[in-house]
Amino acid sequence: MNNNRLSKRWFKRAPLVAVVGAALVVLSACSASTPKATPTASTKALVIGISLSLTGDFADPGTAVKKGYELWADTVNAKGGVLGRQVVLKIVDDLSSPTQVVTNYQNLITRDKVDLVFGPFSSLLTVPASQVADRYKYAFIESAGGGPKVFAQKLGNLFFIQPGPIVKQGDVFADYILALPAAQRPKTAAYPSLDDPFAQPIAANIQARFEAAGIKTVYSGTYPAETPDLTPIMTKAIASKPDVIVSGTQSLDAYQQVKALIQLHYNPKWLYMSNGANSPVEFPSKVGAANTEGVFSSGDWFPSSTATGSADFIKAYIAKYGGDATGIDNSSVEAYAAGQVLELVAAKTGKVDNATIISTLHSGTWATLLGNLSWDAIGEPQGSYLLVQWQKGKLVPVYPAAIAQSAPEAPKPNWAG
Amino acid sequence: MHTLIQGVILGVLTGGVYALMASGQTLIFGVMKVVNLAQGAFVIASAYLAFTLFTQFGIDPLVAVLITTPLMFGIGVVGHWLFLRPLRREDATELSILITFALALLVEGILSITYHTTYRSINTSYANKAFDIGGFSVSAVRLYGFIVSCALLVLLYVILQKTRFGRAIRATVQNPQSATLLGVDSNRVKAYGFGLGIATAAASGSIYGLLFPFNSGSHYDLISRLLSVVVLGGLGSIGGAVLAGVIIGVVSSVAAVTWSPTWSEMTFFVVLLLVLLIRPQGMFGRVERGAL
Repeated sequence: MNNNRLSKRWFKRAPLVAVVGAALVVLSACSASTPKATPTASTKALVIGISLSLTGDFADPGTAVKKGYELWADTVNAKGGVLGRQVVLKIVDDLSSPTQVVTNYQNLITRDKVDLVFGPFSSLLTVPASQVADRYKYAFIESAGGGPKVFAQKLGNLFFIQPGPIVKQGDVFADYILALPAAQRPKTAAYPSLDDPFAQPIAANIQARFEAAGIKTVYSGTYPAETPDLTPIMTKAIASKPDVIVSGTQSLDAYQQVKALIQLHYNPKWLYMSNGANSPVEFPSKVGAANTEGVFSSGDWFPSSTATGSADFIKAYIAKYGGDATGIDNSSVEAYAAGQVLELVAAKTGKVDNATIISTLHSGTWATLLGNLSWDAIGEPQGSYLLVQWQKGKLVPVYPAAIAQSAPEAPKPNWAG
Repeated sequence: MHTLIQGVILGVLTGGVYALMASGQTLIFGVMKVVNLAQGAFVIASAYLAFTLFTQFGIDPLVAVLITTPLMFGIGVVGHWLFLRPLRREDATELSILITFALALLVEGILSITYHTTYRSINTSYANKAFDIGGFSVSAVRLYGFIVSCALLVLLYVILQKTRFGRAIRATVQNPQSATLLGVDSNRVKAYGFGLGIATAAASGSIYGLLFPFNSGSHYDLISRLLSVVVLGGLGSIGGAVLAGVIIGVVSSVAAVTWSPTWSEMTFFVVLLLVLLIRPQGMFGRVERGAL
């Protein structure tokens, strides 16, 4: 009886039960899918905070660095991100100010709680910024601060993404000259250099090695950055007709030196310029393409590079920003390589936390666009730059032999005028 | 000895260009008692104009002078009307320093936005050419620049000495009150005088752009050099400015060739300091009245 009543009641309520049941099923289905939508350690975006000089004195190179970081983020995200995490770059402008850069990294780390940070542009800004990162135990992978003051801090969290400290950029030219048979080496040298921490020390390093090897210094002098006219200085530098001119230059002064040498009708057997002459577009446009032949310079990357991922990088760069390979600023390449290093750490360790990055990068070599990189305890890179020479209108790596695409051309052909 | 003579040649040629730049500066002071801190900025603006005319239309910078000079004259007249005319006579000289500095910053800002801060240089077909004269190298650009500077200085001299307008300017320089009483419209003379001073910046800008790389901030170094030249020559004296330009050009070049590039840059300021100590009115300056 009771059973009947129960069953009648059951049947009367069956539609309700069915609706509730269906709802429960839907809910359970929903709840079953919920964990997939909840952020977990593996799917949460990897936020990298970067302060860059997008305005102010360093606006142009700062923008080039931004291009490199953004291109890397796009490329790695297209591949599924770093350990499955999409990379999100949080880039803030520091106005090229060493004060603002400190505020920016402080905010990125403490307020925005970014997962990682990358470095700003220039040694001037890297020094204070790296101290902030060090205070919060953040790894400081940076591609544009390689001056002596950066390494003098002896920070354990910093890694400079270039083949060597900037002041050793010209050592590869000394290596090449001193590897020549004694009879073929230059006998006399002149060292006209810009009074700049990234120019004069490069020439001074070469001078010390040349003098130790018996190459006589006939001129050594520095000129201030605001010198508009280098012709009188070059007049003095060539007075003793040096075989080799080693110029610690940046960019403008390199073009001015070349112009002065052409106008003074003096052609040394070797001409090395630390910077300026390594610009694939600016140098020929400023001094005339025909006058570039035989000029040496050095750098960390050139469009003809065969280093890891170079061809893919160029392709991706042109697809995103247009232009051609010769228009790529090295600051973009170095920033991209900073991202590559992070990817390599993640691939090797399966982690991307700051402690892992710091402990991992202090050993081993890391294959990037800039060749194989490695660092000592204070983040100073242990590799060497490439010696390049203008040959038939192109910058060609000529030394060391392992990466040379052509033999060095010496003596230098005469100026085209 | 060869190096020294080479240094003197370079100095004379460069000094000629400084002379032209400084003549405009000193003319403005002579006529209006205005220390024009914007002269360097107008030289750089003219260099940019020459750069644009060369890269966009293929007009040689030395030919472009024919276009930029009237343009800068117009800008000078309008600039005077807008910024300097409203100043009260009694404190015009002091205030003009602030006003013209502000004008320099305004010009710099406009150039920065228009051309960005990348250094530019004007590379003509003869940019690297040099003549070999008696074993000494003479750069074609410097020589042409020097010749154009000299020609324009002669033209300026003729305008000031031989024309009615020039007489009005000289009269205003020597005694503004008497000039006004004799029927000289001093406001117009001041406006045209300022325009003429700025117009010299047009030609100097073309030559400066041929000789040196420049960006919007280059006017700071330039104005400090120009002030040294003008003070040495004597404020208000065009002849003094010409001679001072050549002297400082030669001293600076010879210092770089024989001594040190750092001291070469210092020569401008050493000269300035010595003049202020020994003869504050400069070589040809007069304490009370102008000396055009």
